[in-house]
Amino acid sequence: MSKELIRLQDLTMEFDGERILDGINLYFNDKEFLTLLGPSGCGKTTTLRIIGGFLTPTSGRVLFDGKCINDVPAYQRQINTVFQRYALFPHLDVYGNIAFGLKVAKLSKEEIHERVQEILTVVGLTGFEHRSIDSLSGGQQQRVAIARALVNRPKVLLLDEPLAALDLRLRKDMQNELKRIQQAMGITFIYVTHDQEEALSMSDTVVVMDKGRIQQIGRPEDIYNEPKNAFVADFIGESNILDGIMLSDYKVKFFGRVFDCVDAGFAPNEPVDVVIRPEDIDFVPAGEGHLVGTVTSVTFKGLNYDIIVDFRGFKWLIQTTDYHGEGETVGIRLNPEDIHIMHKSEYSGMFGDYSSYSAEYDELTEDADDEEE
Amino acid sequence: MKKANRILTILIFAFLYLPMLVLVVASFNTGKDLTIFQGFTLDNYKAMFQDKDLLALLGNSLLISILSTAVATAFGTLSAVGIHNLKPRLRKTVMSLTNIPMTNPDIVTGISLSLLFVFIGSTLLHQKESLNFWTLLIAHITFNLPYVILNVMPKLKQMNPALQDAAMDLGCTPVQSFFKVTLHEIMPGIVSGAIMAFTMSLDDFVISYFVTGSGFLTLPVEIYSYTKKPMQPRVYAMFTLLFLLIFVLMVTMNLLQIRADKKKVSKQVKPVSKGQKVFRRVCAGVCAVGVLLGCTWLILSTRQKKVTLNVMNWGQNIADGSDETMDIVAAFEEKYPHINVNYTTYDSNESLYAKLAGGGLTVDLIIPSDYMIARLISENMLNPLNFENIPNYRYVQEQFKNTAYDPDNRYSVPYTWGTVGILYNSKYVDEADVTGWELLWNEKYAGKILQFDNSRDAFGVAQFLSGISINTTDTAELKLAAGKLAEQNPLVRQYVMDQIYGIMEGENAWIAPYYAGDCMMMMDANPDLRFYLPEEQGFNLFIDAMCVPSCSENQAEAELFIDFLCDPEISGANMDYICYGSPIEGARDYMDEYLAESDVIYPEQSILDKGVSYLFLPAETNRIMDNLFMEVRIAGGDTVEEEETSVLPVVLTFSGLAVAAALLFLPKRKRK
Amino acid sequence: MKKNKSVLLSAPYILWMLVFTLIPLGVMGYYALTDPDTGSFTLGNLRDLGLFLPTLGISVWYSVVSAIICLLLGYPVAYFIAHRSALAQKILYMLIMLPMCMSFLLRTLAWVGLLETNGIINVLLGKLGVGTVEIIGTSGAVILGMVYNYLPYMILPLYAVIVKIDNRLIEAAEDLGCNGGQVFARVVLPLSVPGILSGITMVFVPAVSTFYISQKLGGAETMLIGDVIEKQFKTANNPNLGAALSLLLMLMVLVCTGIMNRFGGEDEEGGVVV
Repeated sequence: MSKELIRLQDLTMEFDGERILDGINLYFNDKEFLTLLGPSGCGKTTTLRIIGGFLTPTSGRVLFDGKCINDVPAYQRQINTVFQRYALFPHLDVYGNIAFGLKVAKLSKEEIHERVQEILTVVGLTGFEHRSIDSLSGGQQQRVAIARALVNRPKVLLLDEPLAALDLRLRKDMQNELKRIQQAMGITFIYVTHDQEEALSMSDTVVVMDKGRIQQIGRPEDIYNEPKNAFVADFIGESNILDGIMLSDYKVKFFGRVFDCVDAGFAPNEPVDVVIRPEDIDFVPAGEGHLVGTVTSVTFKGLNYDIIVDFRGFKWLIQTTDYHGEGETVGIRLNPEDIHIMHKSEYSGMFGDYSSYSAEYDELTEDADDEEE
Repeated sequence: MKKANRILTILIFAFLYLPMLVLVVASFNTGKDLTIFQGFTLDNYKAMFQDKDLLALLGNSLLISILSTAVATAFGTLSAVGIHNLKPRLRKTVMSLTNIPMTNPDIVTGISLSLLFVFIGSTLLHQKESLNFWTLLIAHITFNLPYVILNVMPKLKQMNPALQDAAMDLGCTPVQSFFKVTLHEIMPGIVSGAIMAFTMSLDDFVISYFVTGSGFLTLPVEIYSYTKKPMQPRVYAMFTLLFLLIFVLMVTMNLLQIRADKKKVSKQVKPVSKGQKVFRRVCAGVCAVGVLLGCTWLILSTRQKKVTLNVMNWGQNIADGSDETMDIVAAFEEKYPHINVNYTTYDSNESLYAKLAGGGLTVDLIIPSDYMIARLISENMLNPLNFENIPNYRYVQEQFKNTAYDPDNRYSVPYTWGTVGILYNSKYVDEADVTGWELLWNEKYAGKILQFDNSRDAFGVAQFLSGISINTTDTAELKLAAGKLAEQNPLVRQYVMDQIYGIMEGENAWIAPYYAGDCMMMMDANPDLRFYLPEEQGFNLFIDAMCVPSCSENQAEAELFIDFLCDPEISGANMDYICYGSPIEGARDYMDEYLAESDVIYPEQSILDKGVSYLFLPAETNRIMDNLFMEVRIAGGDTVEEEETSVLPVVLTFSGLAVAAALLFLPKRKRK
Repeated sequence: MKKNKSVLLSAPYILWMLVFTLIPLGVMGYYALTDPDTGSFTLGNLRDLGLFLPTLGISVWYSVVSAIICLLLGYPVAYFIAHRSALAQKILYMLIMLPMCMSFLLRTLAWVGLLETNGIINVLLGKLGVGTVEIIGTSGAVILGMVYNYLPYMILPLYAVIVKIDNRLIEAAEDLGCNGGQVFARVVLPLSVPGILSGITMVFVPAVSTFYISQKLGGAETMLIGDVIEKQFKTANNPNLGAALSLLLMLMVLVCTGIMNRFGGEDEEGGVVV
């Protein structure tokens, strides 16, 4: 892969004695699409603002191309930002907004014009030069914000929840658009979001954060398939998380039964968290399954049914296309590759039980509150 | 209900605009009176543009408002940015500091500032003129600042803070990002703050009145002192024009705003053509250069290289060229081109004394009355004159030399002399009632009687009536006189000095004690007025004389002016206007015959012999008299007996108020 | 960091305001507690204040009456303006502001011309066959002058508050069964309380301290505390007593505005409405 561009070393950040970032170590490669993913208040926006130069970390260093840039102010960094809700200048039109950075850099008129036209083509806004900002739709404003940042040809583009203000449909379109632009420009995108789907579908690398710490770094598939702890497992998709004991390599015991699995490298008899994705579970007739339970609720979700099954008082979420009525006794079979084993962590026991499940997904709402500050 | 509302609104608007209509109409009036429209004319506007003094005053006002607004706007905007970024607790404290000039009554702000300036300037730095242009400017900036801050702060709060980040992200330094982005965002606040500050500053009277010295007056302050005669209609003309200007400004501003709003709604922003851009820049440049040039010109013109002679005289007490008289000041300036006379007025000996004693100004020449001269001499507030510079002193008649107030002729040169008598309107006052000072106590004319608004003259009237010496120092006698005044209080329409002109000429009051010369002027304006000298009971005979106060900086020039005024021809011409007797030998010959023969101005010697002069009284007596007079004024005559008020209740009230204030404000802050 | 540096911008301002608002008040206090002749410490000036308490009472009474009249006249006007079209609102707002742009001294003088015994109103009344009315010189004239001069200060904040009242609240109240009067009493009026309070303060403070209006329109018995203070400085030459009186006036205003704030609860800092 390409070379390393930015490195964060032992970054900590405190506001009024409250620790927002707690020892972040992270590196970003050139031309990479990296996403910082986490719930509100996890420190992802703070991390981004530190990289952008809007905040100075309490301790730790930010290295850019190997050089510490802690003391380089925002306006001297080769980094540009697409802000939450865009922060477009209302007193300037589309052209004025996009040309802003170039004018500050005192480029020649011709060059400014050329580059603005060029970037307008990239974002698909040709002909919008003299529209006022207020007259643009959300998606168009989004594109202006991206164009305004990209026109400066930064090495890194920071995007702070850029799609949060768009409706679902537009968001999907823009996700593809962003990925396309990133590939076309060939620069690093550092993307902040709380939307796991967005993160998984766009990124080369996903960094899951919570409580100011990095919980897991990895490719989207790895994050999904091999969550490191209960938090990641729960935050990325739906998960049933059970207490289990790793008897030996490839053998895990839970619900009083020993299951085969594909994980190894745990201490003998180590207590672990067992993750089973709702969509990985197959129903079988009651007698043939590894486990037998009772259906307590069924919700039609369009593509599938969400079925809650009670196994000895522990309620599982199972996503399936097969219909099973409430009160029905069902059996399930678990394949070794469907069972993911995680070390116990501070998050153990906090997630993965669907006893209080209601018909809606327990997702973060779209307009989740802004981050810290 | 809605209809009633509409009608009420219309009525209120009529109520708000009625007085303005009166003023606008008056500006086109051929007559001088506000109340009678005599005919349409534009002469007032012409006169206004020719009246250098008036234009200079307007220039002063504009200079102060423009400078203070500019400074306050720039300073306030930057400060607002700073305050905005303060920690919330500190910010709240600073904002309550900002609110002090907003919630404090103007009079308190003005007084506290003037006390500060005088305290620092006179007491600490021993400056002669501690109240000047700069103190006025500081005061205006101080009360303008909150307007700017309070208008800019909400805009800063509304602004998306990410905009600044975005600018910096795009390569702006913090300073650049302020000018390129923040400034645009908060501009509406800055503009409305500046406009508010400018109008407040231009119209401010109360604070300027207390803070300004004699050297630099603004239009409102001068208008306040224009009380003697009906206001010159050219003043109305000026304000009508000013009003029009503001009206046009406001309308265009609103139109521009409406247009901008519409623009926002329409999708396409009109690209600004290069020509327009250049045009706009040129316009802005021209405006800026114009304002700058104007200001420098005004500053230069107010600080000419000439010697400025500060003359302080009674109102309307020198011929000013109106009504075909000589313009004495102009004639003097013509004769001595290196001297520029700055002429200001006072309306009683006491207010002159207050001005001098209050400090903060330089005056080179004053014309107080006899007793006040004695007081000033005794308090070392006058400089001895150098009579070598005043050769015309030889024309001063012998009877005005070696007077009681200046026995050695060292400090003063007489200017005028005159008597105090009763002016009454023969249309309403029965001649049979005109028997003596008791006319001022006649209940038949309740509400139509005026009285002096200075203690010495008012007491004098009461003392003549009661047969007490006007120079008594006996407290009991003073209290007796005060009792008389208190008895008169319910009958008195108003206590006046220079305002008497409008009231008597307009027949709004019928009887008043006043100085003969002024009475003569009023009789000129209203032929029904008569002057009466109660010779049997006695009356005050006074001399006003020219002196140089100790705060003078140009004594030699002041003596030149004194000498000029002692020229018989000049003195005579001067008396033609001010209608007093001249102490200068031969001056009477140059006077208008009708005036020279008037027994109001030159009563017979036998009558004159009955006149009594005020003598210098000890400070103690003056204070007692001042306090008694104040009691008469405020207690309305109900209680003028001495009840030694103890300190206790007042201290209690005071601490009660203070505690209440503290209780009201402190917990609030905690709650925040 | 940028924020820390820009905070420094407030330092000169704080210094300026300390030197030119707080310290002057301190100097005023110093004068109030010193003897005019000897310059030594004394409570004499405070003692003399007792004499002026009735005057202060009259001033407060006049300004309270004018504030109430302003409220009664201003509220319907503000309400009327707030319920016009946007353009009409703008025009009417400007029309309310405009009179304040003409010298307040001259406008008061115009009232003298109107109200005088032989003034315009009396001349008109005379022509109509109604006798003359003695208005000038009475307390009524002073209150009229106050109402006239400060009415815009009442209307503008009232308008600012009323125009912001969400129409949906009124509809909600109607939906919940309020008739017109009830809507006003239960929704509109309570919501306009901040405007009422700020209006009353803005009328009361300048009215209670005026001296020009009472000098011009008032008579022998309408001496206000402002007149007394002005006289102490400009004729009686007793700045120490004047300072003590100013101190009293300031404290009184402070208490009154404090009471207002109490009623009004929290007001946004910097809620200026002129």
